[in-house]
Amino acid sequence: MPDESYRRFLDPTVVSKLATMELRARLVVEGFVTGLHRSPYKGFSVEFAEHRQYMPGDPLKHIDWKVFGKTDRFYIKEYEEETNLRGYILLDASASMGYGEDRITKLEYGSYLAAALTYLMLKQQDSAGLLVFDKSIREFVPPRSNPRQLHMLLSELDKTEASSTTGIGEVLHELAKRMKRRGLVILISDLLDDPDKVIPGLKHFRHMKHEVIVFHVLDPREAEFTFETDATFRDMETGETITTEPLAIRRDYLDAVGEWTARLRRECAESRIDYVPVLTSTPYDRALFSYLEKRKRLG
Amino acid sequence: MGFTFLNTAFLFTAFAALLPLIIHMISRRRVDAIDFSSIRFLKQLERKKIRRVRIRQILLLIIRSLILLFVALAIARPTLRGALDGGVSSHARTSVAIVIDDSSSMSRRTNGGVLFTEAVARVRAIAELLSSGDETFLLTASSPTEVVIGDGTFSPDVLDAELSALEPTEAGTDYRRAVTAALGYLAESHNLNRELYIIGDMQRTGWESEVGSLVETSAEPGSPAEMAGKRVRGYLIPVTGPTGNCAVTAVCVERRYGGTRGMYGIVAETRNFGARPCDIPVRLFVDGVQVGQTGAAIDAHATASAAFSTAVDVNEWHSGWIEIPTDVLDADNRRYFVIRPEERIEVLVVRGNGTAQSGGSVGAPGSSGRVGAPGGSGRIGERDDSYYIERALDPTRRGERFHPVVLTAGALAHQEQGRFPVVVLADIDRLDDAGERWIERHLTGGGGVLAVLGDGTDIRYWNTELLPLLAGGAIIGPVERRGGMRLAPVSAGHPLLTGLVFGDRLIDDVAVRKALRVKIDGADEIMEMPGVGPAMVATTPPVGGAAALLYTGIDPAWSDIPRSGLLVPLLHRIAGRLAEPAARELDCVVGGDLAVPYAPSHSGAPVVLLPDGSEEPAVRISGPRGGAVLRRVNQTGIYEFTQSGELHALGAVNLPEQESDLEAVDEASLAELLDPLEITVIEVGAALEEEILVARHGRELWRAFVYIALMLLALEMYIARPRFAERGTDAG
Repeated sequence: MPDESYRRFLDPTVVSKLATMELRARLVVEGFVTGLHRSPYKGFSVEFAEHRQYMPGDPLKHIDWKVFGKTDRFYIKEYEEETNLRGYILLDASASMGYGEDRITKLEYGSYLAAALTYLMLKQQDSAGLLVFDKSIREFVPPRSNPRQLHMLLSELDKTEASSTTGIGEVLHELAKRMKRRGLVILISDLLDDPDKVIPGLKHFRHMKHEVIVFHVLDPREAEFTFETDATFRDMETGETITTEPLAIRRDYLDAVGEWTARLRRECAESRIDYVPVLTSTPYDRALFSYLEKRKRLG
Repeated sequence: MGFTFLNTAFLFTAFAALLPLIIHMISRRRVDAIDFSSIRFLKQLERKKIRRVRIRQILLLIIRSLILLFVALAIARPTLRGALDGGVSSHARTSVAIVIDDSSSMSRRTNGGVLFTEAVARVRAIAELLSSGDETFLLTASSPTEVVIGDGTFSPDVLDAELSALEPTEAGTDYRRAVTAALGYLAESHNLNRELYIIGDMQRTGWESEVGSLVETSAEPGSPAEMAGKRVRGYLIPVTGPTGNCAVTAVCVERRYGGTRGMYGIVAETRNFGARPCDIPVRLFVDGVQVGQTGAAIDAHATASAAFSTAVDVNEWHSGWIEIPTDVLDADNRRYFVIRPEERIEVLVVRGNGTAQSGGSVGAPGSSGRVGAPGGSGRIGERDDSYYIERALDPTRRGERFHPVVLTAGALAHQEQGRFPVVVLADIDRLDDAGERWIERHLTGGGGVLAVLGDGTDIRYWNTELLPLLAGGAIIGPVERRGGMRLAPVSAGHPLLTGLVFGDRLIDDVAVRKALRVKIDGADEIMEMPGVGPAMVATTPPVGGAAALLYTGIDPAWSDIPRSGLLVPLLHRIAGRLAEPAARELDCVVGGDLAVPYAPSHSGAPVVLLPDGSEEPAVRISGPRGGAVLRRVNQTGIYEFTQSGELHALGAVNLPEQESDLEAVDEASLAELLDPLEITVIEVGAALEEEILVARHGRELWRAFVYIALMLLALEMYIARPRFAERGTDAG
């Protein structure tokens, strides 16, 4: 498969059409990696792994001059990176995550993103774990780095369905208490819960010295409220309804959502939490970039 | 006026107004139900935004329903019903009474000519709406009311001829009397449709004779006029012109004493009825020749006096007028007066029995002179009321106009009955029986009595004996204030006060220290003391003769009158009026009776030469003093009473003062006056025929309904547009 053809697997709608979760994860990650100048998998620790051909942008200090003297070509010396990062992927599977019109649902988007991250993390020799929750912890797979872990996590993601109400705050607090070793917490959620409960939960992780990335997943219609005709809106979690004229209240709705996300962004920034808002139409590379940036900072 | 629809068959279309509601209900059922991740933000907005949106939707629903309703009703031709509805066919015969104002104020100039011409044109327009078989009555609103067409038959030719013959008169306005008469004609009509048209300048003074409803006050309950008032439809058709007007409202001619023989003072009162001040020349003409001119600066709605002096031969009749420049109404720019030859009038001054006198008593019948002239003693304490009265009546002591004879009360019964036109009871305590009977005979014979109350007044006696004889009423008690009470005029327009009043005060600031509080039945009060109330002078209606009461003594201890300039003119005027009970007025207003003194020695009826050169016979008045009267004078000017070619008397006729006030009455007052008549006011400039037809048969309102529907549509489009919706929520 040509490199460029992998790139289309960064589009969520394309990914959703793939058959298995593993395929989705692999293609997303491969599609992402082909766009990079450098491989994300290899680091530069002391244990030599292999040579690879020099590519523009690689630091000159890593050129193997001996090989250059023998072959008259530039090769880069690569080493196996140490695997000591414990990654926890927290996937919100409440009923509200089941929302998604036309395109994929937020839960599907989140699942694919979680699968891709898992694939990427395990490929980097990091250990990856998964926690699926709604108002409580529904499934928990502790982080491991063995090859079977990928299959286990992907199959878990594959069978996840949206249901029940949200209780993000309580779940975060509970998990923060459980996690003894310092690690990377990746929360994938629409955060449709009381911010006064969500934010303290996130801060709890920070208090426990964990690094946190929040992928705030929203459907474009949630973010832009592009409904036109009068409609009765039924809350997917509570079942409550409200009838209104969307055109008349759109501006005020957007103001309210903007205020909400701004608060989340501000509070996360204050706690050094990476807050990454994504729509279900957003290509996955943005999310993966965010992860890699974070990973890079953690060394 | 009722409301109806001409196309009632289309009223069912009004159900179309329910369409928006039905559509709303249906579309409400069809509203998409959307599963949404969370409605927490919508719930946040519900309180202040979504409810506002719902209100807007309801408002739109109502407006849309109203649009359809108004369109549907417009198709059904809504109509305000006119007067002719129900069982009364619009083609039924109609009785029409037309009151046209032909008073002097209708002669005022307008841009298009004369106001009366417009009024006549309006009557002709009304006539166009009449058909054969209708009844027509035509009356004038000038005083007295003239019935021009009273038999009710409608003939366009006759009506046209009568209208052509009508001209504005010089009479005052009396709408009330004319309307009452017109209602009387309509009450006798057998037609079911009855209409009253009132056409004129609606001069306020023409309506002001009484308070309350004209219809109710002018007709007894249940009377034909009263019933007619309830069934008649009235049309008020005002014709308007300029109202700024200046007038000469009064002229006072007074003999001046102490100077040249034949010197008269003439005071003209001018009034500005307009809203702007004016500065005008005032000219005096005597016997057709201008003899004086002065200026008068008159503020808006104020009066000013112009004083002249002129010398004339005292033994002849003289006539004259005061003239101001031409303005919107000419008839009141000239006011006529006459100066009659001096006539010596003997006045009997009766003093109290107990009053100290320095001289002897001259009480014998036929004698003349006075009793107890105090000049010899020089002591002011001896100068009782009779002293001042005597000198006021004859200041030159030559008996030029009044020749006072002073005697004590006890001597009254011995006086020749009929010799003295006027008797002054100068602070007497009581009269004996013979004296009472003498006074009674004096009054019955047409004589006049001036009673001056004071120290000597025996209140109980006066209340039981003399006051019932003179006027009726009672003395209530004394009023006394050391500092004095100022006199103020309460009847500024009364002839007794003409030229003596300046604003709210008299010619002199007269203080009264003592007075008697008197209640006189039906008195014509002249002056009052502010804060105290009782009038100072009350003239009572003549019962055979005439009587006047002065509540304070002409005594320095009681008042300043003896020392003031008020004494001479006041006593002269009172005595002059009391002396001429049968022919009191030498001038009168148009519409009134002009009466002049006429010596009994002249037998036969005089002929009166009118200002326009025509002649009319006068009527003689019998009685001790006699007189001649010309009834219902109808033009201003000087009237000459002659007999056998010899001039015997002159009389002046002027415009009624109230006619100069050109201000129109307001609609609300008119409606009150004419209640319960159903009145339609046809505004100036309105199409008369259309307005009357609308009032009769009603007014179609479909255009108004369509306009309302269009306005509602515009409103709906404004509210329904998305920007409004967003703004509406922004505002919250």
